[in-house]
Amino acid sequence: MPQHTGEFGAYGARGVKGSEAVARQLDTLAGGIATPVTTRRGLLARLHYLTRTEHARAAAREAGLTVTDRTLRAWLAGGRSPSRPNLERIETAYRAVRRHNVARYLLGRLNREGRGTRVELHPLNQSQVPRPRQRFVEFRTLNVRHWDAIVRAWTEGDLQALDDAWTDQIVDLGSQWGQYEYVTNVGFAA
Amino acid sequence: MTDFEAIDALLAGAREEVPLPPPGERRSLREELNLSQAQVAQALGVGPSTVGGWEAGRDPSGEVRDKYAYFLEGARTKLAERATARPAGHEPPTAEDEEGGPQASPHDGDDVEALHREQPCVLCGRPARHQVAGFPQHLDPRECGTARTGESDARTGSESVGTVRVVPAGRRVRTADESPDPIREAVAAALAAHFGDVEAATAALVARAIPDAMALLDGTRRGGRYDIVAHPWIPDVLRKQTARGSDRIWEARPKWARPELPTGRHQVTALDINGAYLSALKTHLPIGQLEHSSGFDHDRRRAGVHLITPPAWEHDAVLPNPLGNRDEPGPLWVTEPTLRLLLRLSGPKYALCDPPEIHESFTSGATENLLEKFRVALKEARERAIAEGDEVTVEYVKAMYSKFVSTMGESNYNRELYRPDWMHLIRSQAFANLWMKAYKAHEEGLVVVRAMGTDELHVLGEWRRVFPEGRGVSEVKVKDTYTVGCDTDPVAADEHGG
Repeated sequence: MPQHTGEFGAYGARGVKGSEAVARQLDTLAGGIATPVTTRRGLLARLHYLTRTEHARAAAREAGLTVTDRTLRAWLAGGRSPSRPNLERIETAYRAVRRHNVARYLLGRLNREGRGTRVELHPLNQSQVPRPRQRFVEFRTLNVRHWDAIVRAWTEGDLQALDDAWTDQIVDLGSQWGQYEYVTNVGFAA
Repeated sequence: MTDFEAIDALLAGAREEVPLPPPGERRSLREELNLSQAQVAQALGVGPSTVGGWEAGRDPSGEVRDKYAYFLEGARTKLAERATARPAGHEPPTAEDEEGGPQASPHDGDDVEALHREQPCVLCGRPARHQVAGFPQHLDPRECGTARTGESDARTGSESVGTVRVVPAGRRVRTADESPDPIREAVAAALAAHFGDVEAATAALVARAIPDAMALLDGTRRGGRYDIVAHPWIPDVLRKQTARGSDRIWEARPKWARPELPTGRHQVTALDINGAYLSALKTHLPIGQLEHSSGFDHDRRRAGVHLITPPAWEHDAVLPNPLGNRDEPGPLWVTEPTLRLLLRLSGPKYALCDPPEIHESFTSGATENLLEKFRVALKEARERAIAEGDEVTVEYVKAMYSKFVSTMGESNYNRELYRPDWMHLIRSQAFANLWMKAYKAHEEGLVVVRAMGTDELHVLGEWRRVFPEGRGVSEVKVKDTYTVGCDTDPVAADEHGG
């Protein structure tokens, strides 16, 4: 099955797209503020991160937080609190800026000067698939040496580019790579 | 008829195993030469515990058996020489003559010597027990198959008469003693880098213990049957609920003190179990990703974490609860070693409690051997270092296994392995091992006073007949002794006075 999956889950298989699992793992590795934005503490931490320097302010504006400085000051002082759509904007802007700031260091650790990082591919869950349609899909590992395209797509939040970059890597698994387009988990560390 | 030739060659090659003296004599031979098990083990290329096993009655086989027989034979001759050199009527302990031994040659007049170990005959290539003027050969022409197997010398492809053990290395082979010992090399390199400054070298080695342990683990898993799955999907019960919080697994750490002692003055000994986490690396570990199941009995071929309702414990006055001191009632998540301990104690042999009730489980196919080579490598390095008095290696090995266990979960200090389930299982195994030691003490008539932490057991009574004292992993050492109680009852004070 060397191609992309046509209709995933038609027979009951469960899993997530490999690229999605990679993005999730990269987010975990990037870390960040754990307290949710809906609490005062989490909101203030994010606002401080986004407004500490002029550079950070510009990055936040570019990431979609287009409110006036006056509003920001009011939020920071506690006089006003942001509306629900603005909370979402703060969260997305924080994610984007954080990814952008971390990407350089993450990339260095993943590429490891060309030695790359070992990636584990945990196959999709077939427990709900009728027996005759189940296939033997084993646990595989892969050493990914070129993370540049993956990390760039993840930083920009471009899901299609991330998927393409990830597919470029998993074709190295051989003719079976299509079985690993959807997985339960992609494990790697940086 | 190549088949028959092959069979003939096989029969010619097969030879009977070298006879060994009985186990008790093996030990006395070694001890009379003032050699330690570790020294002998190092010379033979095996672990000290293996030599201990041979002296306790196990028999080696194959190549090692020849080497061991050679050692014993050599030890016997050496002792016999010593005994004859001594003037007085000192009966040598190994005077009884064995058939085929060095003194039993019928051709003593010639330049004939008997060999301790069979060596290939220069004429036919088959093992011979004698040498003439330095050339190993058969004395009886009927034994020597020169005419039939004359081409065997060409087959060996080398002129050397002895054999060396070789192991495969990549596409080539190399001799076995060349194979690297990463622990020894690391210690030697650190000592050289710090110009023999022991403290600085120890600090440097401890600082790099985690990556070194991971490298050692990779090395010991090479060619293994199972891959180490380092980043599986982790169920929510094993995830930390907050950044600084803990997950929902109960590791059953014992923290128990006996509620009351008999009146009088007692001498309590606090015993420390050596290398508790090192021994606990031998436990049933789940290999792959944990899978959920509910409403099933316990499957011995799987391991993981289980939601159970624990049985009531009625022996709290004399023995700790195998679940530790849990105040909260109701079901709880326990690990495989705790569950196996409870199942064992509920069985007919112990009958100490009811069986636990299993509600749901996250398990995977399990093996006890996943970390076995890793554990044995560390244990042997530790034993060797203790035998040689090498405290740097002892500290280094200790840092390796303890940090390996404590960082194999969600730790930022070790990102190569993300197995919180293994971490919990190994810790629980250490606690279960401590519980079994407490039970053993109780069964042997000692009074267990406290069981706490990973490796601490306080007892009253003559504990040396129950636990051997020492620094090995199967031995205990004394941490502290103290007296408790007051002299109201002189009879009791006399009883426990020693």
